[in-house]
Amino acid sequence: MSTEELPPVPRVAAEELALEGLAQGTAAPTGIPGRERVERIRTVVVYFILFAVALLFAIPFLWSVSTSFRTIADTVAGFSLLPRHWTTSGYHEAFHTFNFGRYALNSAIIAGAVTLSNLVLASIGGYAFARLKFPGREVLFMLVLGTLMIPDQLRLVPIYLMLVNWIPAWVGHLGWHDASFINRNGVILIQLVSATSLFLMRQYFLTIPRDLEEAAKLDAAGYFKTYRKVMLPLAGPALAAVGILMFQGTWNALFWPAVLLQDKSEFTIPIGIAAFHSAYLTMWPPLMAASVIAILPILLIFVVFQRYFVAGVASAGVKG
Amino acid sequence: MAVAVAKRRRVGGGLGSERTREALVGYGFVAVPMAFFLLFFIFPIGYAFYISRYDWQIFKGPFVGWDNYRTLYHDSVFWRHAVRNTLVYTATVVPLQMALGLALAVVVNQAIRFRTFFRAAFYFPSLAASAAVAAIATYILASDGLFNTILDHLGYHHNNAWFAQQSTALPAIIGLNAWTTSGTIMIFYLAALQAIPIDVYEAAAIDGAGAWRTFRKITFPLLKPGHFFVAVVSIIGALQMFDQSFLIGGASGGPNYSTLTTVLYLYNQAIANIKFGYGAAVGVVLFAFIFTVTVIQRLLFGKAEVA
Repeated sequence: MSTEELPPVPRVAAEELALEGLAQGTAAPTGIPGRERVERIRTVVVYFILFAVALLFAIPFLWSVSTSFRTIADTVAGFSLLPRHWTTSGYHEAFHTFNFGRYALNSAIIAGAVTLSNLVLASIGGYAFARLKFPGREVLFMLVLGTLMIPDQLRLVPIYLMLVNWIPAWVGHLGWHDASFINRNGVILIQLVSATSLFLMRQYFLTIPRDLEEAAKLDAAGYFKTYRKVMLPLAGPALAAVGILMFQGTWNALFWPAVLLQDKSEFTIPIGIAAFHSAYLTMWPPLMAASVIAILPILLIFVVFQRYFVAGVASAGVKG
Repeated sequence: MAVAVAKRRRVGGGLGSERTREALVGYGFVAVPMAFFLLFFIFPIGYAFYISRYDWQIFKGPFVGWDNYRTLYHDSVFWRHAVRNTLVYTATVVPLQMALGLALAVVVNQAIRFRTFFRAAFYFPSLAASAAVAAIATYILASDGLFNTILDHLGYHHNNAWFAQQSTALPAIIGLNAWTTSGTIMIFYLAALQAIPIDVYEAAAIDGAGAWRTFRKITFPLLKPGHFFVAVVSIIGALQMFDQSFLIGGASGGPNYSTLTTVLYLYNQAIANIKFGYGAAVGVVLFAFIFTVTVIQRLLFGKAEVA
């Protein structure tokens, strides 16, 4: 597996997603008599379909918001577009009775820690892979990319047993006694850095002109200082893409939290939703409130940082 | 301190020592990630195989050779339900999400107003938490849910919860995931579409080719590398489906195994039933299968790229 086999980050799509209105699609023939009316009708039909599909895509989310403000009685009283009696008791119950405030905090802690450690480790590592020469560099980088071919299901049992037996013993030698990793610590530990973030950072550093570092070299700056003072300030877009990708992925994640989180007090929102769903099947308002709590932060980040999400998609392609 | 060392290098060191220093710093900078990947990715491959050769439940038991694999070979729940469901799911959801994603991409690649809005609206379901989306889907597809209400108005009466019935649970998950994944597929196809040179379309327009003909004769064939890439990513993703089955069908993949997938079965054996040796064997077999699929795809189609 070599670097060339990986899909490039679709920069064009990134810009396109952010920029509005630049005509670039199929050229519509104009100026031919009779064509114009046909074109206009076609345009109306296309917009009608587009808005219908967009509405269709939005309905599940809008419906969950609507239900999150209902009373339970309202949810079984037949169809109504908006709540008959608006109430925030769904949110109140979700936060207080069913602990989703706590779960949101847990999700934020895990996602925050994983994001931060990815930013630090992937940017330093990415800098080294892009710029520093050391024997075996290409082999090591291929090894990093190779990890994308190793699915979670193969790692499940070995990692679980390592977290039960070995890791606590190792950190015990370092003075951290009776540590447990079948919990939040384990979820964070096994996601400290990902091949995807390392790949994205390296690719970005490769695009930065070398002149800037040469200048730093003349100032006799060391490698860490060059990384810290020259490269890192220029890597804003890559850091944003990695940060957003990691935060979104970890905030939404289900698999490893489902495997490792056993104490209710450490549940993340997705695990909380799964547990709630199997226990209180038809208490829709608090469940929909919990879903809104799970979705809203990602929606806000998406609205503000739309174009960085596209880099994330490209790397989703790297997986596998 | 780094400055001081660097100065010393410039004064005293020859080319050799500077190179050595650069290499040492390089190893230092990648040391933590490399140790991490070795420990949590490379090593577990061998360790999984090792575990799979033992009767390992809560504690490590005796060496049993290939027994866990033999048991798996005769495990009817695994083959008749988990494998079957996963293959049915993959064979159905992949074409569906590819067709939907391509349709969305072609439309939002046109010169239209509110293009950014449409792209965002179609893309967002892929980004929302699978747990939340599954919860919403359960609500909408409940026996008295929105979907059945709409069907009722259209004259079809369906009074059962779609996820609670053995015959409709997996198809409902297929529909759900085709919808949520189509946004991601759309972004992949957008990148591929934008790699098609615009003069090709101009030539088609001069020849008087209509929209459908242009799509069928020009766009679709020129997207060939895009199709391969999207297919590879989709198949590998679909073979590893876990979230929706876990959320909707529970750890056992109910009702009556109808939503049980291979990864969910592995989770169930290893974590719920604490059969580590057997779970490891399931993991090794699934890995071998996915790896084979990947290699075959590579051999058949060569490099998979967006554009």
